[in-house]
Amino acid sequence: MLRTLPPARLAAVLTLACGAICLMLAPVAPWVTKWPAGWTLPATEWIGAIVTAGLEAVKPAARLMADLLDYPMGWATWALTALPYPATIAATVALGLYLGGWRMASGGLAGLGFVLASGYWQPGMNTLALVVVSVPLALFAGAAIGIAAYERPRLRRPVQTCLDVMQTVPTFAYLTPLLVLFGFGPVVGLIASAIYAAPPMARNVLLGLERVEPDIREAAVMAGTTRRQQLFLIELPAAKRQIMVGVNQTIMAALSMVIIAAVIGGFDDIGWAVLLTMRKADFGNSLISGMVIVIFAVVIDRLSAALADDRPGTRLYGAFIILLAGFALSFLVGGLLPPAGDLALFNGLAAATDARLGAFTAAYGPALDALRNGAMFYGLLPLRIGLDQAVLPMTWGVQWTPLASAALFAAAGLAAAGLLWRGRFGWAVALLLATGIVETGIVDLPWPFVLFAAGAMGWVGGGPRLAGFALAMLMPILLMGLWAPAMLSLYLSGAAVIACALVGGALGLASAASPALWRVVLPVCDFLQTIPMFVFLIPVLMFFQIGEFSAFLAICAYAVVPMIRYTRHGLVSTPDEMIEAAVASGATGWQTFREVRAPYAVPQILLGLNQTILYAFSMLVIAALIGTTDLGQQIYLALGQGDVGLGLAAGAAMVMLALLADRLLQAFAAAQKAALGL
Amino acid sequence: MATDLSPSAAISCQNVWQVFGAKAPERLAEALASTGGDARRAAALLRAAGLIVAVQDVTFDVREGEVFVIMGLSGSGKSTLIRTLSRLIDGTAGRISIDGEDILAADPQRLIALRRDKLGMVFQHFGLFPHMTVTDNVSFPLKMQGKPAAERRTRALEVLELVGLKGREGAYPRQLSGGQRQRVGIARSLAVNPDLWFLDEPFSALDPLIKRQLQDEFLRLQADLKKTAVFITHDIDEAMKIADRIAILRDGMVVQIGTPEEILLNPVDDYVREFTRDVPKGRHAHVGSIMETPETLPRMPDDPKLQEGMTIDAALAACMALYQPVPVWASNGKMAGVVHPRDLAGALTADTP
Repeated sequence: MLRTLPPARLAAVLTLACGAICLMLAPVAPWVTKWPAGWTLPATEWIGAIVTAGLEAVKPAARLMADLLDYPMGWATWALTALPYPATIAATVALGLYLGGWRMASGGLAGLGFVLASGYWQPGMNTLALVVVSVPLALFAGAAIGIAAYERPRLRRPVQTCLDVMQTVPTFAYLTPLLVLFGFGPVVGLIASAIYAAPPMARNVLLGLERVEPDIREAAVMAGTTRRQQLFLIELPAAKRQIMVGVNQTIMAALSMVIIAAVIGGFDDIGWAVLLTMRKADFGNSLISGMVIVIFAVVIDRLSAALADDRPGTRLYGAFIILLAGFALSFLVGGLLPPAGDLALFNGLAAATDARLGAFTAAYGPALDALRNGAMFYGLLPLRIGLDQAVLPMTWGVQWTPLASAALFAAAGLAAAGLLWRGRFGWAVALLLATGIVETGIVDLPWPFVLFAAGAMGWVGGGPRLAGFALAMLMPILLMGLWAPAMLSLYLSGAAVIACALVGGALGLASAASPALWRVVLPVCDFLQTIPMFVFLIPVLMFFQIGEFSAFLAICAYAVVPMIRYTRHGLVSTPDEMIEAAVASGATGWQTFREVRAPYAVPQILLGLNQTILYAFSMLVIAALIGTTDLGQQIYLALGQGDVGLGLAAGAAMVMLALLADRLLQAFAAAQKAALGL
Repeated sequence: MATDLSPSAAISCQNVWQVFGAKAPERLAEALASTGGDARRAAALLRAAGLIVAVQDVTFDVREGEVFVIMGLSGSGKSTLIRTLSRLIDGTAGRISIDGEDILAADPQRLIALRRDKLGMVFQHFGLFPHMTVTDNVSFPLKMQGKPAAERRTRALEVLELVGLKGREGAYPRQLSGGQRQRVGIARSLAVNPDLWFLDEPFSALDPLIKRQLQDEFLRLQADLKKTAVFITHDIDEAMKIADRIAILRDGMVVQIGTPEEILLNPVDDYVREFTRDVPKGRHAHVGSIMETPETLPRMPDDPKLQEGMTIDAALAACMALYQPVPVWASNGKMAGVVHPRDLAGALTADTP
């Protein structure tokens, strides 16, 4: 009978069987649930030894480079800090006016005015100095990679993979080797942000060049251009828009990373200010310094995004006059102006915020605690350690018993049989699997089952190759002995992804239905995607203190955006003809939605889910700052201890999990797309 | 039309193949060797092996000063063929000579020099450089020749006036309509005054009305310039209208080469016949092509003054009420032959079953 099943159902049944066997074996064979320590390879030590040896070899060159980079760093810092602030503000406003008109100019003025008034001018300028030096490095490296990949098509695939990895490697993971290489100091943050920010430039340059119409390319050839003339006179200028999108993304990535790199410390920048105030639970000030970061991000984003619109600037004179006025002001009456650091107009506000917050948490503390405990006890904990351990008199008020397990499985079995009876095969299997997972907990899932399930999904989605890929990504994690933290990462990101899928999916759906709602949701999404990851930690900490629930919330807030965007986009981008055909067939609104829009949107929604997963993984590491115990925490610990081996191994484990999730979902999205004939 | 062409070949293609796939040249050579040089069987072998045979053993000459139209449906290999001719892609096998020079053997430097001096090309989707003004687009090939800026500008304005775009010199391509864009494309291809003019479906992306305007414009320009032009199209009416000679391409093979009239009146097979079925023959075929030149002249009481070069439609209109053979006069005033009015009508219906 098994032979007659379609492969997907066969895989589902076998996975189910594997899970059941593991469950039965668990009491007699403890190695099923816990990978025995004796089977672990000392891979982290090996990696540490090999990489450290390699790093030592290139260290002199790296140190030389660090010394060289100190010069532009010094100049940039000097220029930005020595320049009187009226001149800096005038320059920004003039640039805003030139690129985007009065709206952007006034935005720049208000933003920088806030920064000045907040008293964080100096750290802010230090951060900007890092960005100013790292961005050209990243742009240059990215453009070179993009052009090389374009010129040598054989390089494209390896380069794409390399860029994928560069962007999935958790940001802290390569800080550790960089620290060993370059020594403590701002240069590490500089290099890290250049590495992190180069891929978007490379991608966009490659994409832009690939998208140049063949006719344009051939027209250049037929005009008798040499290869170099063709590239620099025609193709790169023709790809300008896409390249400018890359410039924008690179600048934003560099800013985000420069702020994250503040965890290394030793440099009085704005990221450090946030970190310090958060550690002191001085939330009023962390909020204000966080605002400074947000303002930088928004102003820089708008300015650099305006570069991609090729409207020629028309307000050159106005911009010039503002610039001149700013400089004149600073040099004529500069001595009379108060120094930037002395301004701290919001000290009172910060104190007031703290006081308000204190009052708020005092007043609503029980409610907040109840919210947190409820989510933990009834949602997160069962998912993490399973109902069998999470249901305790202290949490649920009852004690979980083997009898309860048996009853749960019996009920699930009955329900599944009912579903099967009605022909809902997929739902039946999903119900059984979900019951098993909730009863056991993700962290305690037997590893043979996880391997088998991942392999089976790979098999169904992309054949033996993807199945092999799944195993190749999971086995090293087991062998390196990082299985337990990896499962914790899986659980935390999984919980966040489920929450994001539900909330984001619902919001996307509602935004698709109501343009009015979308007008509200869109700027929020833009905002959430503009602000650096670090800033998400501040509000959750303010209300829920350190702990897993705060980490969960921060991850959700960061990762929910793609889900909203892609769901809405998938739902509204159904071709008009299809809708008209459905309406002409007499479909009601709901029928049109269910039969036409929703199936058409599935590949888009899957891609959104994919992005959400990747976002969640990248936020995991940042969330390690506020109390998690997963791979992110390992990476963070490794950074503190300078343990290159652990940092890289845990980073690699995270990359492997993220790549696996990415490839699986991509495969399913592609299959769905092919089925729709897109 | 086809009569006063100079006989020398400007472009000569001999047994040109374009095969896509791994190791195409070697496998083509093998296939040809194993079939004893039979192109059809060799192509079938290659296709069975999973290669794509886009151009198959194509041989033709393009005479100096003529408009040579390559016509075929999508997938017939016509775009590939013109790209092989201009060496935008490298041919797999065969010989293509331009003015006697084998361009498949030309090295990259020579190729660049050829393109700078001798070749001009117009593209289906215009291929205008989006970041340059109309003038900069048109003068770009001159810039590649190394001409000084002032000279480039003078020449660019000259060609722009020629194509009727005076006044739009400073516009960017995105500010122009489709028809205007293609005028820029044509101006650019003519900027260096090339000897060979390649046009790859230049009017296919345009609306019917604009298309007809540009076809007329093309004929007007060509009457002045007398370039050797290779013109690709999938539109039989366009081919009939502008061609001196037409090559019909099917599955990468040339099925028939001939003047529009020959193609129309003597299609070699059902494929070509099917193609030309809806073409109004009376408008494109001429009396000269169906008249007879008998030894003994029949009795000819009437003379509606038919000329050799008259279209069949015009001739029919002139002898509506006649039932006897009538004389046909050559342009020099001598009698060229005889035609029976019945045959005039018959020529129109010959291919309609």
